[in-house]
Amino acid sequence: MSTNERIIEARELTKTFSGGVVALDRFTLAVRRGEVVVIIGPSGSGKSTFLRCLNGLEEIDSGSIVIDGIPLDRHRKNRLLIRREVGMVFQSFNLFPHMTARENIDLAQIRVRKKTRTGAAETTMNLLAKVGITEKADRYPHELSGGQQQRVAIARALAMSPKVMLFDEATSALDPEMIGEVLDVMRTLAAEGMTMVIVTHEMGFAREAGDRIVFMESGRIVEEGDAERFFAFPREERTRAFLGQIL
Amino acid sequence: MNKLFHMPAGVRRTALTDSGKFFLLAGLVVWLLTLGTQGMGYHWQWYRVPRYLFTTAGGVWKAGPLLQGLGTTLEISLLSLLCTLIIGLTAALFRLSDSFTARALARSYLELIRNTPLLIQIFFVYFVVSPVLDIGAFASAVLALSLFEGAYAAEILRAGIVSLHRGQWEAAHSLGLGVFDTYRDVILPQAVRRVLPPLAGQGISLIKDSSLVSTIAIYDLTMQGQKIVAETFLAFEIWFTVAAIYLVITFSLSFAVRALENRMNGLPIRGAGGIA
Ligand SMILES: Nc1ncnc2c1ncn2[C@@H]1O[C@H](COP(=O)(O)OP(=O)(O)OP(=O)(O)O)[C@@H](O)[C@H]1O
Ligand SMILES: [Mg+2]
Repeated sequence: MSTNERIIEARELTKTFSGGVVALDRFTLAVRRGEVVVIIGPSGSGKSTFLRCLNGLEEIDSGSIVIDGIPLDRHRKNRLLIRREVGMVFQSFNLFPHMTARENIDLAQIRVRKKTRTGAAETTMNLLAKVGITEKADRYPHELSGGQQQRVAIARALAMSPKVMLFDEATSALDPEMIGEVLDVMRTLAAEGMTMVIVTHEMGFAREAGDRIVFMESGRIVEEGDAERFFAFPREERTRAFLGQIL
Repeated sequence: MNKLFHMPAGVRRTALTDSGKFFLLAGLVVWLLTLGTQGMGYHWQWYRVPRYLFTTAGGVWKAGPLLQGLGTTLEISLLSLLCTLIIGLTAALFRLSDSFTARALARSYLELIRNTPLLIQIFFVYFVVSPVLDIGAFASAVLALSLFEGAYAAEILRAGIVSLHRGQWEAAHSLGLGVFDTYRDVILPQAVRRVLPPLAGQGISLIKDSSLVSTIAIYDLTMQGQKIVAETFLAFEIWFTVAAIYLVITFSLSFAVRALENRMNGLPIRGAGGIA
């Protein structure tokens, strides 16, 4: 694996919260371009913290993060650069409630990518078509179902043409009948070669869409491996116990 | 039957008794007042008031001193309102800033303003600051009022900003929006809508508080009233008229803001994004 193939390189990340909780404990993970990595683990194991550190929403105490050759350090400029290249999808959607679906997706294209309104509008309509809700373009978030909101949120992140997409339990807040429509969009992205880091409790999806599974606990990696192998022959006792509980 | 009156019987009855009580009380006050003024031998001379509102000499309509004063009051209030919003927003953002200096600056300003009387602040600006800056009474009045109301507006705006879900910031940051864009496009539009009622209340306070600028020789509504009373001894009539004018202005403002609010309630702002 050559260095430029690694689009994400996280080394020895440590993060301790004020209460003394160690969320990341010398956590190291590299992700190849186009790879789909699924992170699983019990509640409080540091999955969200890792994703949030990757785009600078949370500051690491020590270690290093390099994304597509740009080090995520204290320089504000690099931080902004990385955020432009990394899209994030949240459990709670976090759409801007005072903007329509279209405006939500337009915003960063115009403000950050400095596109014209017409230029942005075209990308936005393409993305809405991609996530399958063209007819809801002028609806406000509160007029959409959870699944539709999450699909708008994915389109909003994609509008920045990110090199990496992070998903933090993107389907956990959804009613069961809406989970499928969001997972479908994620599958399409994976098939198109998008680099993705996904935190999820959907083991079926993890197995089928993930290239590599990372099982973490207490801020450390317990076991990682190729998706098929991981689920078929988990090596660690702890992994077997976790999978036994969840499957 | 009119749809408006289709409300539960309980609600209708309380509304009726409430307004009944109100008019009874108002009537009582008026009656006591008339009785009192009769007792002290006061002669009501309402017919002398209109000429202070306006004159129609030779068919030409001309504003009298009271309406001129109202013009000054509105002018000062409007200018101050604008400055209040600018100062308030700046102070709110400073208080929420990452910079220690900015936060300390904002804190000192807020504490200083909110813990001293407005009248003293007006005097301070007029007698101490204005000679230094070489500004007139009018500018001093606007400056003092905006600094005072700005402190309260800042706290209102800050409350609106921090009431927003953290996810709004995170979503904006994850899209690569900077602090400025995030405030302008994401945070402030939502925060301002949330705090519109208290903010409007502050605007109404501003109009009322502006009467204090009469102490630095500005011929606003209050000052004109004072002057007319001194010349004519029509104390009751003039002060009633002045109060009524203030009331009309503040009432129409509250009414306008309520209408605006109702219109905005049609827009989604409460059902915030996702599972806030
Ligand atoms: N802002 C914070 N302040 C203090 N402690 C925090 C904070 N955020 C997370 N933690 C703690 O850090 C640990 C890791 O949290 P994290 O959210 O990364 O877990 P997670 O693996 O995403 O869990 P879940 O599956 O429940 O989402 C937990 O013990 C959590 O309580
Ligand atoms: Mg989490």
